[in-house]
Amino acid sequence: MTAAVSLEGVQVGAGDRVLLQVPQLVIEPGERVAVVGPNGAGKSTLLKLIGGLVQARQGRVQVLGRLIGPGGTDGPASRRALRRDTGLLMQGLHLVPRLTARENVLVGALARLQGADALRSWCRWYPPDLVAEADAALAALGLADRAEARADRLSGGERQKVALARLQLQRPRLLLADEPTSALDPAATAQVCQALLALACVPGRTLVTVVHDLALLPLLATRVIAMADGGLQWDLPLAAVDPVALQALYARLPAPAGGDAPAPAIPGARHGRLAQA
Amino acid sequence: MTLLQARQGGWPLHRAVAGGRAGFAALVALYAALVVLCVATLAGAGELNLGRNPWDNLLKTVGEFARPSFLDAWFGPERLVYRSDDGTVLRVENRREVEADFLAAVARATWVTFQIATLGSLLAALMALPLACAVARNLRAPRPLAWAAKGVLDVSRAVHTLVFGLILVGIVGLGPTAGVLAIALHSMGTYGKLLAESIESLDMAAVDAVRATGAGEAQVFFHGVWPTVLPHFVSHHLYVWEFNIRDSTILGLIGAGGLGLLISEAVSLFQWSRLATLLIVVVALVMLFDAVSRRIRKALL
Repeated sequence: MTAAVSLEGVQVGAGDRVLLQVPQLVIEPGERVAVVGPNGAGKSTLLKLIGGLVQARQGRVQVLGRLIGPGGTDGPASRRALRRDTGLLMQGLHLVPRLTARENVLVGALARLQGADALRSWCRWYPPDLVAEADAALAALGLADRAEARADRLSGGERQKVALARLQLQRPRLLLADEPTSALDPAATAQVCQALLALACVPGRTLVTVVHDLALLPLLATRVIAMADGGLQWDLPLAAVDPVALQALYARLPAPAGGDAPAPAIPGARHGRLAQA
Repeated sequence: MTLLQARQGGWPLHRAVAGGRAGFAALVALYAALVVLCVATLAGAGELNLGRNPWDNLLKTVGEFARPSFLDAWFGPERLVYRSDDGTVLRVENRREVEADFLAAVARATWVTFQIATLGSLLAALMALPLACAVARNLRAPRPLAWAAKGVLDVSRAVHTLVFGLILVGIVGLGPTAGVLAIALHSMGTYGKLLAESIESLDMAAVDAVRATGAGEAQVFFHGVWPTVLPHFVSHHLYVWEFNIRDSTILGLIGAGGLGLLISEAVSLFQWSRLATLLIVVVALVMLFDAVSRRIRKALL
């Protein structure tokens, strides 16, 4: 079985700045990987690269067995298939503001529609079983009564949940989540994490998450990749990650003048609470 | 300032604007010089005058306008006798009847004007939609197609409705058809520009999100682009429609039917009171449509 993600000698840059430099990284199918590191470490860039939103300047990027970026010879149909298999949960990828929550969820299923159903989807007319699936996905996230609400009338947490429900209908093989719980209250964080896990727990599905709340590590990851300054620092199974190494990772950042240094959450401090959630 | 100048290169106007207060003052001075030049040349050619007795003419015109002809339909003399200078009766007319007939003609013409504006706007919208999609940069249509579409829109916007009307009257003959086509051809350019701009102001992150699910291009358009653009489209449609109701009142002047035809008749027969009636109808029509369309647009956005 080919690797879910395989990077070789990859460099991503903007202008003369190098944003990301990865000599070698392989993620096997079924793995749950967390990417940690201070701001500006290149975590989001790594995720965008794998998700096909950013192009590598050099190197080989292989996702789900397909070569993307420079050297990729795939046609549009193949690229579409790859997009369908890659589920993105990212800050910048919004819901369509004027569609309802339910329609936004159904967007996830568009690529699955064939023939007449695909044509009917142009007028936002979907097969009833898909609508039922979308409603079930929304209900599972506690949004059953918001299905008819327009996306631009939803709160931030609700939007994130709708995006998750959209992923659920998309059924991707590779899930890329960039800080899925940022700006969510604890209850919503727990709900979103559970839903994300439920999505990732299907055999063969791979989950790569950028995690800022280190307390979530044990929940979301079996393997932790640490990044700083656009490069990989270390790459360890969860059990081998020790708090000292994490502290050191964030301590690399010089403290700002105001003395308001980004205080890293210390794993263990909130474990107990989160495990119960 | 030096850095700005260095970056913005040679073009003097650019440099003047970038050059802060002194540059702006220079631009204002340039504009003032231009205005003085216009006035001086006109005055030099003796074209700057108000005619022989502007005040008398103004008072006379105001006096006739103040008694619009439609009042005669109710308050006019039932028997108006026209006599020649030696007293022979030339013609007797019932003013009320004549003006009532005129009002009926005005109503018919108003309907024709409305028809021209409505059908012309609809046709323009339908033609402009694909062109706008080709022009909007964020939809990434093939470049030659985008240039061609932009060319078509620019030309259609540059040529005035009346000019299109004159050409079309020669092709399809006198009548409302020429008016509809003239409106459609000119409005297409306005529409295309407005529509392309609202497509360009789209939240591309939402469109990318739809595309990222692996949806096909048509599905991306109908889910990511269309729902957001539709309210803008309707709003532009109402705006252009409203604009065209004003425009189509003029089209009659060149024989394309509607109120304009009556206006040109009234003007050439010096029937100022009838012209007053017609202008009142035009203003009322435009104001009515204005109010309705504003309300609809507010509800939509």
